[in-house]
Amino acid sequence: MSAGRTRLLVVDDEPQIHRFLGPALDAAGYDTIRAETGEEALRLAATRQPSLVLLDLGLPDIDGQVVIQRLRQFIKAPIVVVSARGQEEEKVAALDAGADDYVEKPFALAELLARIRVALRRATNERAEEAVELHVGPLSINVDQRIARIEGDEPLHLTPREWALLVTLARARGRVMTQQQLLTAVWGPAHADEAQYLRVYVGHLRQKLGRAAGLLKTEPGVGYRFSE
Amino acid sequence: MHEPPQRPDPDTLLAIAQREGRGRLKVFLGAAPGVGKTYEMLSEARRIRESGADVVAGLVETHGRQDTAAQLGTLEVLPRRQIAYRGQMLDEFDLDAALERRPQVLIVDELAHTNAPGSRHPKRWQDVEELRDAGIEVWTAMNVQHLESLSEDVARITGIRVQETVPDHVLAGADSVELIDIPPTELLERMRQGKVYRPEQAARALKGFFREGNLAALRQIALRRTAERVDADVTGYMRAKAISGPWPSTDRVLALVGRDATAEDVVRQARRIADALHAPMMALHVEMMGAPGGLSPSPALRLAEQLGAEVETTAARDLPMAVLNHARSHNATHLVIGRGQPGFWRRLLGRTLTAALIRQASGFTLHLVPAPSTVTPRIRQEAMGLPHWAGWVAVPSLVALTSGLSLLADGLVPEGGIGMIYLAAVVALAALFGPVVAAAGALLAFLVWDFLFLMPRFTFAMSGIQEVMGGAIFFAVALLLAGTTGGLGRSVSMARARLFGMRRLVELSRKLGAATSKGDLLTTVAQEAATLAGRPACVLLPLDDEPVVRAARPVEAEPDAASMAAARWALSRGTRAGFATDALPSAEWQFRPMRTANGVVGLLGLQMAGVQTGELDAERDRALDALIDQAAIALERAHLMEEQARSAARAETEALRSALLASIGHDLRTPLTSIRGALETLRMSGQQLSEPVRQDLLTTAEEETIRLARYLGNVIDIVRLESGQVEPRREPVDIGDAVRTAAERAGRRTDRNIDCDIEKRLPTPRIDAALLEQVLANLLDNAAKFSEPGTKILVQARRLGAEVLIAVEDHGIGVPPDQLTQIFDPFFRVRRGDAAPAGSGLGLAICRGLVHAMGGRITAESPVREGHGTRMTVHLPA
Repeated sequence: MSAGRTRLLVVDDEPQIHRFLGPALDAAGYDTIRAETGEEALRLAATRQPSLVLLDLGLPDIDGQVVIQRLRQFIKAPIVVVSARGQEEEKVAALDAGADDYVEKPFALAELLARIRVALRRATNERAEEAVELHVGPLSINVDQRIARIEGDEPLHLTPREWALLVTLARARGRVMTQQQLLTAVWGPAHADEAQYLRVYVGHLRQKLGRAAGLLKTEPGVGYRFSE
Repeated sequence: MHEPPQRPDPDTLLAIAQREGRGRLKVFLGAAPGVGKTYEMLSEARRIRESGADVVAGLVETHGRQDTAAQLGTLEVLPRRQIAYRGQMLDEFDLDAALERRPQVLIVDELAHTNAPGSRHPKRWQDVEELRDAGIEVWTAMNVQHLESLSEDVARITGIRVQETVPDHVLAGADSVELIDIPPTELLERMRQGKVYRPEQAARALKGFFREGNLAALRQIALRRTAERVDADVTGYMRAKAISGPWPSTDRVLALVGRDATAEDVVRQARRIADALHAPMMALHVEMMGAPGGLSPSPALRLAEQLGAEVETTAARDLPMAVLNHARSHNATHLVIGRGQPGFWRRLLGRTLTAALIRQASGFTLHLVPAPSTVTPRIRQEAMGLPHWAGWVAVPSLVALTSGLSLLADGLVPEGGIGMIYLAAVVALAALFGPVVAAAGALLAFLVWDFLFLMPRFTFAMSGIQEVMGGAIFFAVALLLAGTTGGLGRSVSMARARLFGMRRLVELSRKLGAATSKGDLLTTVAQEAATLAGRPACVLLPLDDEPVVRAARPVEAEPDAASMAAARWALSRGTRAGFATDALPSAEWQFRPMRTANGVVGLLGLQMAGVQTGELDAERDRALDALIDQAAIALERAHLMEEQARSAARAETEALRSALLASIGHDLRTPLTSIRGALETLRMSGQQLSEPVRQDLLTTAEEETIRLARYLGNVIDIVRLESGQVEPRREPVDIGDAVRTAAERAGRRTDRNIDCDIEKRLPTPRIDAALLEQVLANLLDNAAKFSEPGTKILVQARRLGAEVLIAVEDHGIGVPPDQLTQIFDPFFRVRRGDAAPAGSGLGLAICRGLVHAMGGRITAESPVREGHGTRMTVHLPA
């Protein structure tokens, strides 16, 4: 375990998962701390201060959602949730409770590593949230000048709401945002439940993005992700 | 307080509106034939014709009376229609000709006439209704004895029952009624003069129907009826004009329906009184506790219901008290009661209801309905199984026998003693055959005794005052005994009959309770009904609201199409239908609904016609109704149990399915994730990893593949077991050998020590060796999984009674007691606070399924010793 390496807390009750994740994350340049129960995870998160928590929601002792809420009371480190496919409510609840992203079992190792990288980048460059210039694929956004353009094209004509939605998504680049998170950020907390607004505006935004529309991806049942 | 404005009574206005557009009906009502109805009708017709009205005589019966024929005069007469019937030609009123002619006023005599078969309507009053519907005014004539509701009274007065009747509503619907009234003496005078009938007929009539008393009574009835009608006209007028009057007569009429033959007459009489008083009618039947039965009151109560009475039935010990309480609480003012036939003692002591009511019911008007003289209770003979004539044979035989005995005893007993022997014979006759036969016996015995033993002997004469007194006392005592003993014997027989009926009911409910399936139950009901009714019976259940025969006795009995229409009626209305009911009475079968609080659950069908069967008497009818009630309850219970079993099975299947889904979600995904993760790690960063790490990743993938395969095998097993697809191949199995082999194999998979303790000379049950091996392997793996490495696992095999027991015992953490019963359920995993659940929760479920398939069972105990350990025991039939 060499100094300077990023430390990840891996929480899963299945020993087999640890058996391959340990070497895999090690090879990818991370140190891992291993926890098999929720209590253990909370204790290790407090004492070892990991840079990221990889959390399986199906723990034997404490409900995964509760673990997220309690972790969020004392750490800011990103939390990536490991969950089963087809349990969208669980994912949304986890994201709304403070998780940053999720992967579905059985996950591809490459995908897991990409999610971890995105989550870590956001955490380490907290300031990037306030950056004036944002670049996602062919799209570049200047927040101060309120200009968004696709490489080589004229600036996009966006309504204030569309602009706010685009900036919110671009700042969370690579990360999933739940419908509720987007609604709260763009329309305000009072409209957190009005998903039909979001669908309409996402549709408009995709149209205006034209050939860059593929950047705005739908995560069915969960929310949206803006990434290359 | 301000009175709301009076509004016209809508019903009255409606009745008037219905009359408008219809032809008017004028009825010339007479008390008897010959009072001059037709004469009067014709002379009035002539009068209005002279003033220009179009009057036609549709049909006039002059009965050969010249005065009447003369009144016809120049009035247009419609030709009659000829109908051939049984070789003779009948003249009938030609309805179609009348409708075509459409006069302003049509005269149709003899409203009560029954049309010849083949006519459009069976009754003439129906022809008249059609004429009125066509807008033709009809004048007709009828005698009061033909009024349906009065036919009973008239029959009682005159002794002649009228077959041709007119429903009361026809007269009530007439626009005007003219009473043709002459005093009886005048009518009789006209009869004698031959103005009514031809002389020879008149002579016969004068002796029969036309007695002065009869005529006076009929006249009174006719007058009263007309007066009632006038009254109704006035009230109708007042109601239509919303004139508030004194009518809501505070009167309420209560019919007391008993178990005697007068019950229906009581109801009819009460209806008439209530009509006359414009009072609401009620009917009450009090079921006497501890009193002998009699006829069923239900036909009379049904009739009361049909006649619009509010019907109630209660049970009480003190009949007069119950009646008075009910009458008071329901504000009855008129009580209608049948005279009934009180027993000897009751009459003597004045303990009849009538007498009690006369004494106590001072606030009520009492109406007594006379008892019909023709009714005699026959229950005694039926109950005893003795034919009716047996009593009359027994009288002379028993008296002769007694006389023989007395002659033998003559001289051995005191003179008075001989009389006692005869009395004994009278008592015997009374007990066996009832009071009438006994009274005859008493008379005969007295005569024979007088002849044989009283001085002077061998004459009917009596020598002195002593003999006369003795004879009188003997006769009186004999009669008294005849009355009381007869009554006693009867009530004993009836009690016995009712006890028999009750026993049959108890027997029936036992049989119904014993029916294990609904099919059984239906067959039992059909069988019992067929036996009870002495005719084919079937049970029908609704299927999509259609009645379907589900059981029949005899099995080939089946209602025909016409009867099935009645069955549909009975099912949809919840009432009786078919033979001898109000709905589809021409059907051969009768259907009675089986009702519960939740509605009609089925029908009982009885074939009433088209088969050789006896009469269905009241006693059997009542027993059938009781059977139907019991069957309905039993059937509903069966329905509920079926429904419960179905929903339980559904819930179980649902639970299994969702557990299976959840388990596949978790138990497939985890090994797949591990395998994929291990392989991807090796591919992506194999070079960076040390050799041991690479080996471990490969081992992980391999082990997880095995785990996945085992899990899939288990899932397939449990699905096969749950769907009953496991068919054990039975062969004698050496239990000891099977246990040792399983222990040995399991020992290779674990580092726990497995000890075997196997009883010698174990039986070799016929089971499936492969299935047993799988069960033992699962149990041993389970024991290893839940105990610490290095501890002991004990396998015991022994015989206990008719079973071979194989127990697998570990020294592990045990199972919480509250979860012991669930551990054999599919996908159940023991929860232990902090510890992770292990396995898929299928191993023990599979064990149970396999053991069950082999005809055995499996049990679990925990803790086994010192709060530790679990013992799983497989019980196999030896």
